[in-house]
Amino acid sequence: MSAMQKQSVVGKDVPFERIRRITGYLVGTMDKWNDAKKAEERDRVKHL
Amino acid sequence: MITSIMKRDGRVVLYDAGKIASAILKALEAAGEGDAAEAARVANRVERELALECGSGTPRIEQIQDLVERQLMECGHDEAAKRYILYRANRTRIREANSQLMKTIDEITNVDARLSDMKRDNANIDGNTAMGSMLQIGTAGAKAYNAAYLLTPEQAKAHREGDIHIHDFDFYSLTTTCTQIDILRLFHGGFSTGHGFLREPNSIGSYAALAAIAIQSNQNDQHGGQSIPNFDYGMAEGVAKTFAKAYVTKLTESVEDILDSEDESDAARAAVTEAAQATGHTARLGEGASEAEFDRLAAESLARATRLDGGTAARLVATARRRAWKQTDRETYQAMEGFVHNLNTMHSRAGAQTPFSSINYGTDTSPEGRMVIRNILMAEDAGLGFGETPIFPIHIFKVKEGVNYNEGDPNYDLFQLSMKVSAKRLFPNYVFLDAPFNLQYYKPGHPETEVATMGCRTRVMGNVYDPSRQIAYSRGNLSFTSINLPRLAIEAHGDEAKFYASLDEMMELVARQLLDRFEIQAAKRVYNYPFLMGQGIWLDSDQLGPADEVREVLKHGTLSIGFIGLAETLTALYGHHHGESDEMQKKGLEIVGHMRQFCDDKSQAMKLNFTLLATPAEGLSGRFTRMDQKRYGSIPGVTDREYYTNSFHIPVWYPISAYDKIQKEAPYHALTNAGHISYVELDGDTAHNLEAFESVVRCMHDAGVGYGSINHPVDRDPVCGYVGVIGDVCPRCGRRSGEALSPEKLAELRKKFPGVPSFCGCE
Repeated sequence: MSAMQKQSVVGKDVPFERIRRITGYLVGTMDKWNDAKKAEERDRVKHL
Repeated sequence: MITSIMKRDGRVVLYDAGKIASAILKALEAAGEGDAAEAARVANRVERELALECGSGTPRIEQIQDLVERQLMECGHDEAAKRYILYRANRTRIREANSQLMKTIDEITNVDARLSDMKRDNANIDGNTAMGSMLQIGTAGAKAYNAAYLLTPEQAKAHREGDIHIHDFDFYSLTTTCTQIDILRLFHGGFSTGHGFLREPNSIGSYAALAAIAIQSNQNDQHGGQSIPNFDYGMAEGVAKTFAKAYVTKLTESVEDILDSEDESDAARAAVTEAAQATGHTARLGEGASEAEFDRLAAESLARATRLDGGTAARLVATARRRAWKQTDRETYQAMEGFVHNLNTMHSRAGAQTPFSSINYGTDTSPEGRMVIRNILMAEDAGLGFGETPIFPIHIFKVKEGVNYNEGDPNYDLFQLSMKVSAKRLFPNYVFLDAPFNLQYYKPGHPETEVATMGCRTRVMGNVYDPSRQIAYSRGNLSFTSINLPRLAIEAHGDEAKFYASLDEMMELVARQLLDRFEIQAAKRVYNYPFLMGQGIWLDSDQLGPADEVREVLKHGTLSIGFIGLAETLTALYGHHHGESDEMQKKGLEIVGHMRQFCDDKSQAMKLNFTLLATPAEGLSGRFTRMDQKRYGSIPGVTDREYYTNSFHIPVWYPISAYDKIQKEAPYHALTNAGHISYVELDGDTAHNLEAFESVVRCMHDAGVGYGSINHPVDRDPVCGYVGVIGDVCPRCGRRSGEALSPEKLAELRKKFPGVPSFCGCE
């Protein structure tokens, strides 16, 4: 049973997961990215 | 009379005149300027001066050292004085490193990873866990030692001050980066992981399970990622074995059913054996003439053995084939699903990391290979237990004209399927075998000549050391070091010649450092790499004994020089970057071409594989920039963001069309023979438009890109299980990040969507 599942109210404090690619790898959520990588992701513009 | 001295930390200890003489003697000997008698003479002078300076007080140790320096010079021992000063500086550096090390360990121990940028340096390690922290403490200790003892002062300074970055510096004295594991060669005859022997696998389930174990085991011998270059060809053998077994089982069952008999396995096995002897192959997938002949012979034999009529026997064989296909397909899917789950859950390196893993596939056109490719793609599409997007392995689809690129090619359908999956899961990435610099190695029917990628982007193909072995299999990168290109440009103050001169100097320094590191790696023995070398995974290591030096076989690997921030470099030198004008594109290609030429020349001179890398900026993104901001302030377009642009990429913030971006970046792929990747960013809607997605992949292929992938947002709400683009509000359940859902709402969602995760303990 995960910690999330033990909560009495489902979803409370559970963030969305945002999966992004950095340097060829995917990272499960951006929580573990260092600051510079977060900034790079924030600055990205779409190419059409 | 001096009786005591004060050490740096304030402790007072007994004065020992002999220590002064012995330090002086070491300096004199190092300089070749004197003997013990001379050392005693200088030491006496030091003692006299000391008595004059502090009478009977307690001198500090630095005071004594200053006097030693001065007296050495006054006695005409200039060289010895220089040695003594260097020795002191080095001791100081080590002392500072030690206290810095303690501070670092303190941060690792006490600070939450979310608040510590250092602890998030490698995004694959969770710095909040016990094993993650232990790994980080080990890393910190190894780095301090390596900088103090293994680098020359010049290299240490360049690394410390951010002129260069020595990647995986914690492993400097220990191992090499990565390998493309030829999984077939490993499996044939079985292998050992060090705690027991694994027999050659006999079903697709075991093939896939052992492939995961091979990746895990080899990950523990090296510091980089692991890759299987021939995943489809490798797993196909397992599929063939599973099908051959299923064919017999299904045939047995069909015969037993129709005869209402308990055991007809002998008849079925005899029929299959007879057909196998006549056709020269086992029961196998496929619809060719030989498979039809196999079935005909099996039916004949079966009719003879059981007195079934020929028509019935033929029908039973056809049914058995159909059912065996179905069962094999199902088992293959389960094996692929298990493989993906394994690689996202198993741990290596003291339990702190999931292995960095990559698999390459797409070109095996055999029915078995095609079954593998289809099922691995479908397993990736389905995701993990709650539909999460798998982080590992990296899937790399090899694109090749005549094999899968065009309509009518045998694996065209799988190429199409791969794009559907990539549009949902971000993988596969695409490696393009038709790009001229990849095509030059390609020999049809020899999958080892197909370029494969590992980890973030590493590419190993050419081989100066042994030109008869220009293959992807069983080779890898040994180490790589990156150059802070923007700093060289800033320091050149617009002087192009000065920039190139400093670039040459820096590349020379890096090449020297890579060779020094190679020397450490090459002096190791086979037993230092028990799996990589001990199990013969690395090219030619099967020719070595357990205590042999690995020097010669390591030469199949690459030594790579990387770079970061071409865009900022061009802006610093000329005022704008290569995305903005064709003129700058020309300048950019000149710089990168110059670096490639350096690597080629060095390779020829040393008969080693020096290659040029478009550096994956993991961990480096930000480090150089922070230091340069401190040094030069905020320079527009150069140091005014928190990071330098990845290798030769057009800056992520610069508006440009996908087509133009690809055209601009493709020529750099031809120059960066150690590896490269180009990205195109699409929004969620465009990515899900398969036609648009395909047009981007085809554009990359046609432009001569070597390796590329398409980025698009993949979000997931872990509460309702929705996967897709999520803005502020989840489109499925309507909650915001961190908000709770009511039990009624959850029940309603569960009725509508089967994929909603279940939460025990709260309903």
